[in-house]
Amino acid sequence: MSITTPRRQRRLGSFMRAVPAWAYVILSAAVVLPPVAWIVSTSLKTASGTLEFPPRWIPAPFSPEGYVGLLTSTNIRFFVNSLIYAGGSIVLALAICIPAAYVATRYRSRRMETLMTGILVLSMVPAIVVFIALYSMFVKTALINTYPMLIIVYTAIICGQTILFLRNFIENIPVEIEEAAAIDGCSRLQILWRIILPLIRPGIAAVAIFIFVFVWNDFLVGTVLATTEDMKTVQNGIVRYITTGFGSFWGLFAAFIVVAFIPVLSIFLAFQRWFVAGMTSGGVKG
Amino acid sequence: MSTESPTRSPRKTAASPSGTPTVRRIRRDRMVWLYVVPVSAVFLFVFVGPLIYTAWTALHETTYYQIGKFSGLNSFVRLFSDSDLPSRIWTTLVFSLGALAIALPAGLLSAIVLNNLHRFKRSVRSLFLLPWLMSQATAGTIWLWFLNPNYGPASAITKSLGFGPTDVFSSPTSALVAVTLMTAWWSYPQAMLLFLGALQTIPEELRESLKVDGGGAWHGFVNITLPYLRNTIVSVVVVLLMLYVQMVTIILVTTRGGPIGSTETLSMRVYNQMFDKFDLSGASATAILLFAVNIVLTLVAIRFRRKESL
Repeated sequence: MSITTPRRQRRLGSFMRAVPAWAYVILSAAVVLPPVAWIVSTSLKTASGTLEFPPRWIPAPFSPEGYVGLLTSTNIRFFVNSLIYAGGSIVLALAICIPAAYVATRYRSRRMETLMTGILVLSMVPAIVVFIALYSMFVKTALINTYPMLIIVYTAIICGQTILFLRNFIENIPVEIEEAAAIDGCSRLQILWRIILPLIRPGIAAVAIFIFVFVWNDFLVGTVLATTEDMKTVQNGIVRYITTGFGSFWGLFAAFIVVAFIPVLSIFLAFQRWFVAGMTSGGVKG
Repeated sequence: MSTESPTRSPRKTAASPSGTPTVRRIRRDRMVWLYVVPVSAVFLFVFVGPLIYTAWTALHETTYYQIGKFSGLNSFVRLFSDSDLPSRIWTTLVFSLGALAIALPAGLLSAIVLNNLHRFKRSVRSLFLLPWLMSQATAGTIWLWFLNPNYGPASAITKSLGFGPTDVFSSPTSALVAVTLMTAWWSYPQAMLLFLGALQTIPEELRESLKVDGGGAWHGFVNITLPYLRNTIVSVVVVLLMLYVQMVTIILVTTRGGPIGSTETLSMRVYNQMFDKFDLSGASATAILLFAVNIVLTLVAIRFRRKESL
């Protein structure tokens, strides 16, 4: 009996202590959610409904108009392009970063460290600085507006972080396993392929998620290095409604944003832990 | 590509001070470099080459991306004698430091709140992360639509309060404030994630001992959390500043640097000079200035990273 009073007090105390925290959460919700809710609401309105003033938060006649209107060949092309860029970048980045991360972790030398620092420093160069050069170098050649070119650029931008992240994973594998395999006659490539690769699968998954979201959400590469409409990305598709739109395009625009956000949101909800791990890697370390 | 490693390796063995490696050992070490050739090639193509090209174009006259005759440091003279440059640097400072001043405390506070929650942790984390999950283009355009002077809800609120419609993007000051706030809104979750990772390394005993001593929340924050996060705060500042200094997308989709250049940061100026004025050498000169700023930030980051690992 005598125990209950302190316990109740403690519960009350922890409740009181939680009040400022929840006040902050509510305040953040008030800052974060309105534009999001507004977009979702707009996407479900009729064309004339989007131009009502004062605006309605809940669409008066619900209408799938915006979503239906999205199914144009241009829009589908944007989505397919982004998928190609993301898929290609994942494959290329993993293919070149895993070997590099492996030797950088296991065969440390001053030169190797210098090279890795160089790669890290270069990957921090502002994108716009190299983009203007890439654009002016290739605008007159056949390389601009090609999938390989854009995939290589995306890959280069995320390579530094990918290597850093993979290195952390490889470091956690006991060297003894590799030594045993070497004694059994495995070559370095076989060790990498048969031992390291299966062991760093979670790391690879996290990196793949990170690369997908990065490429999917990137706007600048598609803007600068894809000059024709048929090579642009999803993010260019969003902004296209505003820059070239006429008439009442807001419903379509809002629906496009919602649809473009769905892949990232579902990946986030499905793989929260890996998602966060991949996104923050490299952030703290430089 | 494969010709690159044999030319490199002899220099390596000559420079390596360690003992007398066997022939087999040298051969194996040489092979190691094959594994980094693809990465190096990609970086040469996307970063090193373009950087050299940028320096090259900055030293030449250009007309419509066509490189003309050598002009020495003319484009830099043009850059630094441009009467607009001080205001662009001022804009970059206001934009970067303003966004930092909001995103850093917001990120830290969100991380601390999230770390102390016992219920609905995942939902609250998703809420806090939501802006950052969106692309920069999405973040910029949804605010553009929200603040739309004719149809947006923000305008409805200000009108009902008796002010005019919210036409934030038509006046220089309010446009800069709006762009800065949007950028902070989009980027604070990144600071939060970094802080969250660091908060979880604070040993529980420290908090326990504080409770025994009867210290309050503020006391704990000043005496335990802040000292523990000192290194993280520096690195978050650097990460965010780098992000803001090279921010193009949010500004590009909302104001394109206008009105009257009031939101044109250095990065945005590079973009506008290149794609609006077709001034390649001018853009290159600005880009090199931007690159120099970035190098300073990178050096701080690297120096700091070494310190942290020691």
